Amino acid sequence: MSASLVLIIVVATAYLATHLLYEWLAKRLLIVSGAEYLVLGILLGPQVSGVIPVTAAESFGPIIVLGTGWIGLTVGMQFYLPRLVRITGLTFRLAVIESLVTLGAVTLVLWWALPALGLTSQFWAIVPALALGAIAVASTPAGLDIALRDRKKREPVVNQLETSLGVNALVAIVTTGILFAWVHRAPTSALRPPTPTEWAVITVGIGFLGGSLFHLFLGEERQVDRLVVSLGGAVILASGTAAYLNVSPVLATLVIGIVLVNTSRARNELRTVLAAAERPFYYVLLLLAGLSWKPSTSATVFAVILLYLVTRTASKVYAARATTVWNNATPQLGRDWGKALIGQGRLTVALALDYARRPELPIGDVVFTAALASVLLTEFAAARLVRAALLPIVEPLRDLAQRLPWVDADEDVPAQATGEQPAMSGAGAASSGAFIAPDVEGASTLLPPDAEVTPSLGGYALGRRNLVREGEQPDAADVNKAPPSDSSNEPR
Amino acid sequence: MRRVIVLVLLYLLMQAVLPLGEGTPAALVLMAFGFLILGAYSVGELATTIRLPKIVGYLAAGLAVGPSALDFVSQPVMEQLAPVSQLAIALIAFLAGAELQLKEVLERGTLLLKIMTAELVVSFIGIAVTLIALHEFLPVLQGAPMTEIVGFSILFASVAIIHSPAVTMALLSESGAKGVVARTTLGVVLVADVAVVLTFSGALALVRVMVPPSGSGGLGVLAVLWEIGGAVLVGAVLGAVVALYLRFIRRELFIFAILVAFFGSEIAGLLHVETLLTLLMAGFVAENAGGGGGEQLRHAMERAGDPIFVVFFALAGAQINPQAVLKLWPLVIPLVLVRTAGLWAGTKLGARWANAEPEAAKYMWMGLISQAGVAIGLASVMANVYPERGEELRTLFLATLTINQTLGPIMFRIALLRSGEATPESFRGGPRQTEPH
Repeated sequence: MSASLVLIIVVATAYLATHLLYEWLAKRLLIVSGAEYLVLGILLGPQVSGVIPVTAAESFGPIIVLGTGWIGLTVGMQFYLPRLVRITGLTFRLAVIESLVTLGAVTLVLWWALPALGLTSQFWAIVPALALGAIAVASTPAGLDIALRDRKKREPVVNQLETSLGVNALVAIVTTGILFAWVHRAPTSALRPPTPTEWAVITVGIGFLGGSLFHLFLGEERQVDRLVVSLGGAVILASGTAAYLNVSPVLATLVIGIVLVNTSRARNELRTVLAAAERPFYYVLLLLAGLSWKPSTSATVFAVILLYLVTRTASKVYAARATTVWNNATPQLGRDWGKALIGQGRLTVALALDYARRPELPIGDVVFTAALASVLLTEFAAARLVRAALLPIVEPLRDLAQRLPWVDADEDVPAQATGEQPAMSGAGAASSGAFIAPDVEGASTLLPPDAEVTPSLGGYALGRRNLVREGEQPDAADVNKAPPSDSSNEPR
Repeated sequence: MRRVIVLVLLYLLMQAVLPLGEGTPAALVLMAFGFLILGAYSVGELATTIRLPKIVGYLAAGLAVGPSALDFVSQPVMEQLAPVSQLAIALIAFLAGAELQLKEVLERGTLLLKIMTAELVVSFIGIAVTLIALHEFLPVLQGAPMTEIVGFSILFASVAIIHSPAVTMALLSESGAKGVVARTTLGVVLVADVAVVLTFSGALALVRVMVPPSGSGGLGVLAVLWEIGGAVLVGAVLGAVVALYLRFIRRELFIFAILVAFFGSEIAGLLHVETLLTLLMAGFVAENAGGGGGEQLRHAMERAGDPIFVVFFALAGAQINPQAVLKLWPLVIPLVLVRTAGLWAGTKLGARWANAEPEAAKYMWMGLISQAGVAIGLASVMANVYPERGEELRTLFLATLTINQTLGPIMFRIALLRSGEATPESFRGGPRQTEPH
């Protein structure tokens, strides 16, 4: 059987699994499906069964580059400016600190460990260490999606997690993008090789050019067919160009995503197009990642994996906890929201593949193996980790709601106000995270009839019953009762 | 103006990037793919502003960026992009099969079959005889044994008789024409698509016996029978599976469409059956047994196929060697004229045989001139089986196609206007004359 046919069969299976197995596992067991495709890829690949030989695996190179670019695009589409400006300064502060602490901690530990373990020289160790640090920052959004499913409301902790996931992705992609620009191999054909800064600018420039081409190409049309051609053409061209220039395709397409979501009037249609292909694309990428995996010849790789996992987990949990306590945000966020960021998934795979496909960078197999091990060990439990992190903060609110006589037991409840002033003002600006005002649309049912609602302070509205318990089915009536979000039309 | 800016930006991008990059071949292939999607599509739309079909623009774009001119898409890159062509061929064949409505075939089947048979036979004989007579102008056939000359002439004629359902449907959709000329032309074009694939499959099998391809040996009679019969069988099974999916699941048709095309193409190769016929049969069964889901799948396939077709036609254009085409002009002009004459005579004959309406008999031939779609797929198959001679035959075919594809829509437009089934205003989006004449 040809390698292509095997791949098609596996993709078809993955495709069906998307709608059958994935939803079933997610609903019943809170398990994020995906890592099994990684294992399947390893089993089918040249390192184990050899069903798909090395040459065939290498021929899938364009799909890998496109897949990594596609993931960059989906990340970029989250950064919708009108929505970002409604997020509080505190939320951003916590997210950025957690990201940078994770980046710094993992980088420093591995910068010390890699030469100590004899895997690379002291001089070169910073490159894989920084790559692993950046990869460590990335967390999967799948856990949050499954744990809360379609019932996400504006709890501060959920908002914090969404913001942290976005910031984590941004930090991870930008760091690897700069890293690839920094250690770029000089082209022999150029008169003067570009400097690292110029390579970084070129990477971002490719993204802007891709976004511009999309707009010029699409014009005023909003037909889905036309959108598919424009989007496909722009992403394929940008990913290919970035990969050809040996810079980061993920960063280039991240820029395209940011440009498109903030400038295109067809952003909702774009979301539909992206959503249709997102999960099958991810499964294909996982499969190809498994095929591309090469075992390290050194046993010390286990030590690297262990250090990576321990440092990363500790950084995520304790950095989040410390910065929350430091900023007096524990009542709203709890102390353990960092646990919800432990799961790693699609972006981790994309960044690791992007690093490993560059022969000029040191110990690509070790970096790749560590990243894949993290995905294998954490992704399937991502939803449970989210649930474990959120329950302590949401459960007390549930009890509070039951004690308030005017609150309908099925509706949202406001959090208690602490009196801290909002970090941002103006319509739509959210509170600083300490003062929690109700969602304006839901306010009439959540507050006493004589309560005053200040629209300009509309922001977080704490929801109860949003967490999905193990085996619990979503209640259609409850979903219908959910107050419309002010950003329901916007990309998440 | 927007299109021109896109093209200028793409040109500058390629000029800037190609000297700077030393990436992997995979990256270069991907970049070329994206470049072709945006570039060729833009040229295609520019072509429409001067009343030329988009496909001519795609071919021209490919020619401009291919190895013969700018070399942005080099020969190795084109080889790497071969799976795109394979996918496009599969999609085109599936779509052609899916366009055949059993009801329409049963209602007007006899009339359409008679007209189609007459015009195909006359055109086929005319083209084959012309090529045999003028074979000395084709370098690969100079001094060749008569078996080869006859064999390749038959093979070429089996491809060159084809029409373009895509162009026909596009013009009918644009004008809103629904009269006798419009319906008969569309019916003949669709049925002819199937007939031509069958004819080509038979001709290829015959020529393989007459002139065994280098390296793979000839085909025995049983193998030929399996190649055609097996294709019908495999295609029917695949179509039944697709129909079941359409009846019971009918979700994510966009991705499903691509998977079906890829899978059909791969499975046909694995079982040594004719790829085009397999997909065509699968399309026919899926459309007519899919419980109404066939139309949705067809639309999903057209959507999925849009960028793939653009790249496919652009790659076909990139493979045109202008110098070879110039050398072949003594053959190209007679072949175009003979085919056109064959269409005129064949449709007159067929219309009389089938007692068709006078309007159809008078104007229908003008709607059959366009060529595209499956034709390029067939020419590519020919070039794959016979790398050297097939390649030159494909160049010859693409040269004739360029002329036919440019003249075809113009002629069909004239036919619809003269028959009164469309007006100049209806072509511009104004009120439509839709009553049959």
